[in-house]
Amino acid sequence: MRKLFSSRTVVTIIIAFIVIVGLITGSNWLSKRTNTPPFVQRFSNDLAGGVSRLISVPTTAIGRTANSIGNLLDTFEENQILKAKIDQFAQDKVRLQTVEEENRSLKKQLGLQATLTDFKTVSAVTISRSPTTWQSQLVINQGIKAGLKKGMPVLSGAGIIGRISEVNTTNSKVALISDTSEDANRFAITIKGNSGEINGIITGFNREKNQLIMGQVTSDNTIKAGDLVETSGLGGVIPSGLFVGKVARVTKDDYGLSKRIYIEPAADLGNITTVVVAVSEIGAK
Amino acid sequence: MAFWQLTRIRVVYPVILFFLLFVDGAVMSGMGAFFTAFPWHVLPLATLIWLFYGVQFDVDKDMPFWIYVTATGILFDAYYTGIFGTYTVAFLIATMVMKQAKNILDERLLSGLTMFLFGILTFLVITYFAGYIIGIANVSIVTFLLFEVLPTVALNAFFAVIGYFPVWSFFNFLR
Repeated sequence: MRKLFSSRTVVTIIIAFIVIVGLITGSNWLSKRTNTPPFVQRFSNDLAGGVSRLISVPTTAIGRTANSIGNLLDTFEENQILKAKIDQFAQDKVRLQTVEEENRSLKKQLGLQATLTDFKTVSAVTISRSPTTWQSQLVINQGIKAGLKKGMPVLSGAGIIGRISEVNTTNSKVALISDTSEDANRFAITIKGNSGEINGIITGFNREKNQLIMGQVTSDNTIKAGDLVETSGLGGVIPSGLFVGKVARVTKDDYGLSKRIYIEPAADLGNITTVVVAVSEIGAK
Repeated sequence: MAFWQLTRIRVVYPVILFFLLFVDGAVMSGMGAFFTAFPWHVLPLATLIWLFYGVQFDVDKDMPFWIYVTATGILFDAYYTGIFGTYTVAFLIATMVMKQAKNILDERLLSGLTMFLFGILTFLVITYFAGYIIGIANVSIVTFLLFEVLPTVALNAFFAVIGYFPVWSFFNFLR
């Protein structure tokens, strides 16, 4: 019988497979453990980022125009809903300003420097988005020069969208919360329920439902759909009080021992043109 | 180097290949609201379409084609994912599959499209399984096929057909 492959070909394929798997797992392991990529990679990424900036100008303009046309169709209905909400927002804004002022004054009296809720922001523009099956990452136009560091949370529109996964000199990568890798969405969060708070971390993302998962919750506090979820600030790098989303549903885990909470993310992960990086004043020190 | 030499296919092809690598990311970012509208995940793969044209119109006879394919994959890995291997292998194997299919199929548009289909499916399947190797795969194979493979193939095959004859004429002009 004629052999499909010679022994030499089979050996070559096996060796190539081992080398490739080693390369993928090795570089994945290394990227998790280093704050910035090696010099050569950083240099090529900065160069590539420059080219990307030029190319993104027309494509972003086309995308924005298409979005604007889409939004225009819903404008009337949206306008009515927003008008109904605006009075409530005005009241909330006044109350927030009063509370912020009171908070500043109390901190001063106590001699506190920075707390978990203190953070400054760095604005950035999205210049590229990885056209990949997994690891949906954005490339933004701010890097080491703007004071960004790996692990910092990134916000867009209504809430948190991910965290910085790699920092180059003039650009950075943002791993989105829809990514299941540990770098992307392991945030310490808190859920404000009627009967008290529940603290925990995001343990995963259900891409088929487009929902974040908070697993292994053993607290007896009652949580219901619609309860607000925000970052708790535990760990120091991510400030407290960043809006994550709303509780979508609560289920029991596979063994019925703990709760699993599904969270609807507040931010639209599809349309991200500008972002804000939250730099914790505690983490920065 | 005289100016006319810059307009030869061995210069123009890799320059456009390099350019398209960033076009994919820019399109994904600019049109993200459409390409990643839940539950869809559509990938613009202009780079792979350009490699398909390269194979179909035999540009490998004019230049170190496989070095360019490898360099494209390495740059893609470095810039978009930061994890080396996945897309270098995906681009290389998808292009090899298209090259092998070309030896079996004839040179008509429909045969070319079949060849591109083999290439893009190989590309997507490799990236799917690479996700399993590093433990970041979070969708079932059915969801992957229905909401990613199907629309990605349809979108890119459409653009491959649109550009087929203009690119063929362009390559003939450059030669």
